[in-house]
Amino acid sequence: MEPLIEELKAKIIAGFNLEGVTPADINSDEPIFGTGLELDSIDALELVAILESDYGIVITERSVADKAFASLRALAEFVAANRT
Amino acid sequence: MKNFTIHAAGYLGPEGFGNDQTGLRNWPPLLKEDLARGEFDGLHWSLLSDSDPSRFLRMNLMCRLGFLAAELLAVNFDALPNARRDKLGVCVESFTGSLDTDIRFEQTPRPSIFAYTLPSTVIGEICIRHRLKGPVLSLISPNSNGESILTEAAEWLRDGDAEMVLCLGIEAINRSTANSISLPEDLSPRGWHGAALLLGRSGNSPREKPLANGALSEVCRNLCLAPERAC
Amino acid sequence: MNKTDIAIAGCGAVTATGLGMELLQRAVAANASALQQREWVIGKTSQTVVAGFIADEIVGQLRAADAVHADSRAFLFAAAALQEAAFQTKNILNSVPATRRGLVLSTTKANIEALDKLVRKQPVSAVAQRQIQPAFLAADLAAAFDFRGPVQCVSAACISGLSALQQGAALIRRGLADLVFVAGVDLISQFVLSGFNSLKSLDPDGCRPFDKSRIGLSLGEGAAAIILVKRERLSSPAILLSGCGTSNDANHLTGPSRDGSGLALAIQRALAKAQIAPDKIDYINAHGTGTPYNDAMESLALRAVFGDRVPPFSSSKGIFGHTLGTAGVLETALCVAAMQNNLLPGTPRLRERDPVAPDSLLAEPRTAAKLDYILKINCGFGGTNAAQVLERELP
Repeated sequence: MEPLIEELKAKIIAGFNLEGVTPADINSDEPIFGTGLELDSIDALELVAILESDYGIVITERSVADKAFASLRALAEFVAANRT
Repeated sequence: MKNFTIHAAGYLGPEGFGNDQTGLRNWPPLLKEDLARGEFDGLHWSLLSDSDPSRFLRMNLMCRLGFLAAELLAVNFDALPNARRDKLGVCVESFTGSLDTDIRFEQTPRPSIFAYTLPSTVIGEICIRHRLKGPVLSLISPNSNGESILTEAAEWLRDGDAEMVLCLGIEAINRSTANSISLPEDLSPRGWHGAALLLGRSGNSPREKPLANGALSEVCRNLCLAPERAC
Repeated sequence: MNKTDIAIAGCGAVTATGLGMELLQRAVAANASALQQREWVIGKTSQTVVAGFIADEIVGQLRAADAVHADSRAFLFAAAALQEAAFQTKNILNSVPATRRGLVLSTTKANIEALDKLVRKQPVSAVAQRQIQPAFLAADLAAAFDFRGPVQCVSAACISGLSALQQGAALIRRGLADLVFVAGVDLISQFVLSGFNSLKSLDPDGCRPFDKSRIGLSLGEGAAAIILVKRERLSSPAILLSGCGTSNDANHLTGPSRDGSGLALAIQRALAKAQIAPDKIDYINAHGTGTPYNDAMESLALRAVFGDRVPPFSSSKGIFGHTLGTAGVLETALCVAAMQNNLLPGTPRLRERDPVAPDSLLAEPRTAAKLDYILKINCGFGGTNAAQVLERELP
């Protein structure tokens, strides 16, 4: 799971223009949204778009997104289970 | 319009960047070359200060220019009481508008880019940053120099719709973005700039200048090219 | 100048309901929805989209009459709406020299379809490409109708229409024009569909404004035109463009402020300009897109301004969708028709009112006992809000 977590951290840093943030700065077990990274609702949609384009996962229900975005670890597990 | 004056002017353009007090500073050499080639990705907040507003890097070219121009005014909006911010209007005039971002969205259809495919988004960004709730107006016009917007702002002041108005004239497209789709020449702007003027009622501030006739970007550039420094 | 100095001389429209104000009014009277289902490829998948598409037959008809602009639907739609409005007011029009006729265009993306094609290297005419630029679209429309007075173009997200009406009125008050055509146009395009889809704000089954189970908006395309003149050019009783107000929420780019205070401020400004108290408003035509956030926020704003006496209100977007830059002009034209017909519009596609929405929400159209003041509101991306008061003079 660790390589996928690191891969997702890199995509988040690049995708959200988080200049000056390194993968080591992101805690794998904290919520992705609503904490120190200062990401907002457009970023959440952006992450949904990245999951679609890079992993072929289509999320249509908000509850699914909420669970998957609970942390980087949760996201990695979600991606591993659903990628096409 | 005798009762209204220009309280501050901020400008970025090929000539440099600055305001009506400091004049225009030269661009750092490498950035100057990029700008001359029509590449704007190097325009960073760090030109003005160390602390990065977190939104800046998410913003598109049009918003970055507007944000930087507003910041160059060196006006402390946050020190204004809420009542004054409620009566602070924001208006913008542009020719290209968000075209640079529109092309990028066509190429990479992401929600974070779509949010910026409107010329009025810069108004939203500035109002969010400084909590301004006055009247708003966004015009697209065939001239790049913002010729209409000062008239509109002066009317707001005259009618009491606003006590101060932040007027923005913004023009730019990345040459590489335009070239990537062979954009017809007449859809590209002539030159580029980010210009901000803060208009308000006549007061006693030594920084105030008379409200000049002319288009926004020209008025702004002239004020910044010939600053009157306080002794 | 007096606040009651600008009057509405005529209207035109082309929407999902068809070509012309008559068909629009029939849809309103029948509380009918003209939203249609089409398959559309977004990204890599084909999706079902329910939106206010303009019928192919109408596009064909307009193309046949104007070969030069055949692949610029933005021009074709705007010209059709302007033509209808011009026809309605031809006597006044003929009495105003061309140099005293102005045009204000309201649009968010102009002929964006041409950009879709340009990017994909598909064939597209030079005229269609030129009209990607809203200012050129405005200039070309003005030239086609021989308006040689001032030309302006407003592009301010979903409040463009109301903002354009305000600009039109200002041009007349400033003495720069005696007659101003205010036209709004926007298209359903790959660009806009994929954009709203990426924001997950569309309802795949069609919007249900103010409904308890609403989940999103439906896009719409089309054009509308309203002619403004000085009041003295019309015989009474005239419908006047009264006070207008705008504001910004200063909250979030794509989500309205949670408490509706920005919209409430715009409404209060409009009422103050119109010099009337809230209790004079007889009907409100809401923005009512059908997204969970917008309709909830609007409900709060209405309560903030009107307390527990919110006038009858409805959303018309279930008829023709969210027409973006056209919305303010189209929905104002709809309000003008409401005054002429003495009929309060309902809220098509509503099944069950969200309890959060004031209970004066009109599900069905209703004959008006009194319809002297209408409030039209719109809200846009970037937290912008606009409100416009329409006033009908007493005979």
